Amino acid sequence: MNEGLVNTSIVKGWFRWGFFWAIVAPLIGIILSLKFNFPDFLSNEYLHFGRLRPVHVNGVILGLFSSLFFGLLYYMVPKLTGVRIHREEWSGYAIWIWNLSLVAGSISLLLGYNKGLEVAEFPNPVPAGFILSLLIITYQVLVTISKRKEEKIYVSLWYIIAALVWTGLNLTFGNLILPYAGSGVSNAALHGLFIHYVVGLWVTPAGLSVIYFFLPASARAPLYSHKISLLGFWSLAFFYPFVGIHHYLLSPIPDWTETIAIVTSMMLIIPVWAVVTNFFGTLKGNWSKFQTDVTVKLLIFGAVMYFIGSTQGSFEALRGLQKPTHFTDFVIAHAHATVFGGYIVFVLGACYYVWKKINGDGSYNERLAQWSTWMIMSGITGMVIVLSIQGLVQGTELITGAEFIDSLVTMKPYWLLRTITGITMDIGIALVAINLLRYGKKA
Amino acid sequence: MRSVKTIALIAGAGFFFLAVFIQGIIPYLFKEIRVQKVTKVVRTSLGTLQELKADPLPYDGVIEKGRRIYIREGCWYCHSMYIRPLQSEVIRWGPLSEFGEYSYDLPHLFGTRRIGPDLTRIGGKYGDDWHIAHFFNPRMIVPDSIMPRFTWFFKKDTNGRYVLNDDGKAILAFIQSRGLSKGKWRDEFPYQTFLQGSSSVQSRLSVENGKMVYLRRCAGCHGEKGDGKGEASNFFAIKPRDFTSGTYKFRSTPSGSLPLDGDLYRTVSAGIRGTAMPAWYVLSEQERWDVINYIKSFYPDFKTTPPEQPIFIPQPPSPTEGMVKKGRRVFEELKCWECHGSEGRGDGEKANTLKDDWDNPIKPTDFTKGIFKSGSRPEDLYRTIMTGLNGTPMPSYIDSIQAMNEDPWALVYYILSLSADKP
Repeated sequence: MNEGLVNTSIVKGWFRWGFFWAIVAPLIGIILSLKFNFPDFLSNEYLHFGRLRPVHVNGVILGLFSSLFFGLLYYMVPKLTGVRIHREEWSGYAIWIWNLSLVAGSISLLLGYNKGLEVAEFPNPVPAGFILSLLIITYQVLVTISKRKEEKIYVSLWYIIAALVWTGLNLTFGNLILPYAGSGVSNAALHGLFIHYVVGLWVTPAGLSVIYFFLPASARAPLYSHKISLLGFWSLAFFYPFVGIHHYLLSPIPDWTETIAIVTSMMLIIPVWAVVTNFFGTLKGNWSKFQTDVTVKLLIFGAVMYFIGSTQGSFEALRGLQKPTHFTDFVIAHAHATVFGGYIVFVLGACYYVWKKINGDGSYNERLAQWSTWMIMSGITGMVIVLSIQGLVQGTELITGAEFIDSLVTMKPYWLLRTITGITMDIGIALVAINLLRYGKKA
Repeated sequence: MRSVKTIALIAGAGFFFLAVFIQGIIPYLFKEIRVQKVTKVVRTSLGTLQELKADPLPYDGVIEKGRRIYIREGCWYCHSMYIRPLQSEVIRWGPLSEFGEYSYDLPHLFGTRRIGPDLTRIGGKYGDDWHIAHFFNPRMIVPDSIMPRFTWFFKKDTNGRYVLNDDGKAILAFIQSRGLSKGKWRDEFPYQTFLQGSSSVQSRLSVENGKMVYLRRCAGCHGEKGDGKGEASNFFAIKPRDFTSGTYKFRSTPSGSLPLDGDLYRTVSAGIRGTAMPAWYVLSEQERWDVINYIKSFYPDFKTTPPEQPIFIPQPPSPTEGMVKKGRRVFEELKCWECHGSEGRGDGEKANTLKDDWDNPIKPTDFTKGIFKSGSRPEDLYRTIMTGLNGTPMPSYIDSIQAMNEDPWALVYYILSLSADKP
């Protein structure tokens, strides 16, 4: 083991913040979910649905997912390049600037400072913090990779490089240009692109870099096919940037740009299926690991959810399915299946692996880890099923001319079920954080 | 792959800019796409409706402030702001969204989720009273609503009553301006205009079903006992109907008579514009008949005293300038101005002294606003002039008009012409 390459204090620094968000952000999700059935629950000027929702979404994407991912990044990059991270001493700044920006941004949202653009809500100068922190990380990573000992660049690093470049551009675009560009319809078109760049050009490539690294590592098997990973990477890189308008289909946005978004959304089946083929191929003849190892279990479960959620997302863009399902919980099912069921499950699984590597054996409780895994898996599966069904039910009801409030009444029992599935998976996530923090100290 | 630069430049920057350029910028460089006009419905100086292309309304003053509050409170997470080309959406919320309507929207407020209804054309759908009570506690009016209460839009006035504060007034102004770039589109919206319904049998089953509809949709304002004293009515300037009194304003039957079932059907379906009474045309026809049968059961005399014969409303003629001028003369001769004012602004000499049958102060309609409670088609005004509004100081003019041998349509078109849009 050449653990000497990895600076574990950077990894742990990111993880600690990640675990904090792993407890906070999903908890806000539960509170929001309860408000559907009990609208007066915890509802006041600062905590009502409209103020709390962006705190949940940003907390999950920029806090829970991103902080844990950055922790993994500082483990993967030295391992894959064979050199230590360039200018390690800068990492502390990146950690604190990133996470304190998120704390400040969340508080300002609760106080009503909201820019009015979904996933780009944070008021100035909060986004500057994210951009600055990302610049430090990008610089460190790119220089480290260029100093690498291995000539070939492993697939995880392609995704990392692309994700960092895309997101640096996207955060700049979303915060410096988007709030001031165009008017009405063209602003919506640009915003559609921005929203999807957050999930498609940050969460997706970052999440895939994690599973590409940790699945072969934890299953102790070589990657199934490097050719397929090339296909997956380049088709994702080419098609993903075009799909954003599918957030505003059948709107006054010109039809032909909507059509480009729909066609490219369908084309995303290529990278998704290619990537998933690679993962299942990697585990071929090695499935016993799936039963014994929590990391493999979470990674493969995440791959299944990623496959289901992304395929659902592609079909959802078709105008026929879009008509009943858009604006309903079907979209929320897709969002949770991919972002949570896929990518966050990837990083949680990888956290177990890295934690054990850097803290040694006994750094987490195996029994608790199995419990958390099952709760996460059953919770998110239940939630995706409930939300998909209710989205179709409400969508069909509305498209056939139901009075709006009647369709809400139909939804209420489903929302209660959704809350229960949400609580299940949130306890699962919190258990990951508690387990690692508690036993990690002892080890 | 062996080069960091290839990945960073081609996959990273290259595809990113290519997509932003093709999807986000190129389409809006074409002049024919960047339309700045909106199809607007206006009232002509002859009192008829006309469609033309007009500039959208800009956001300024209190409406602009209201928009900022709409963003601050995150209303847009639950309420979308575009209507898709689907029949169900057009019927439920109004005509399809147009490109030009969004000319001044920065940031845009399209929204991605409809936990609540779309608000593109909410302006004028409900009266201010409805929104005020609904902001204070949505479940007071809509028991199944899941919208948060917005009690911080309120302050207490000197009498200890809750009234809107400046934020509340601003958001209300913003909400009520939604869709007004399209002018008086509601006046020719086919789903909200009814001439007459048929009638239904008041069976036991229908009344029972009607009660269920009533408790979910009506009781918040009209009260569980039908006495017009629902919880929300405290917020209303114009009080909800007391169904136990058997007094109905909007009828095709002579003054003093009960209304026809069809009259109630029209009011329930089309709503009463400018007041808290919404239009219920989205409910199934059967639900509407059931609730009417239930409402009638609050006043037992409906069974024993049938309504009188309705008046005959002929086909309205096409208006001419001479007709509108003649209408002005009829307006003066019938002394409409005593209450409605000489310019029809609802500010006549008697305006401030008027009371309804329950001793509540009542304001004469301001004709220049173009909001007519019982409908804005010529036939609707004809009906109101000829039958009067029971329970209010507005009498029936059928006898005086016939005695003077005047053309009632002249008066109708004159009144409509008072709300003509400036060219």
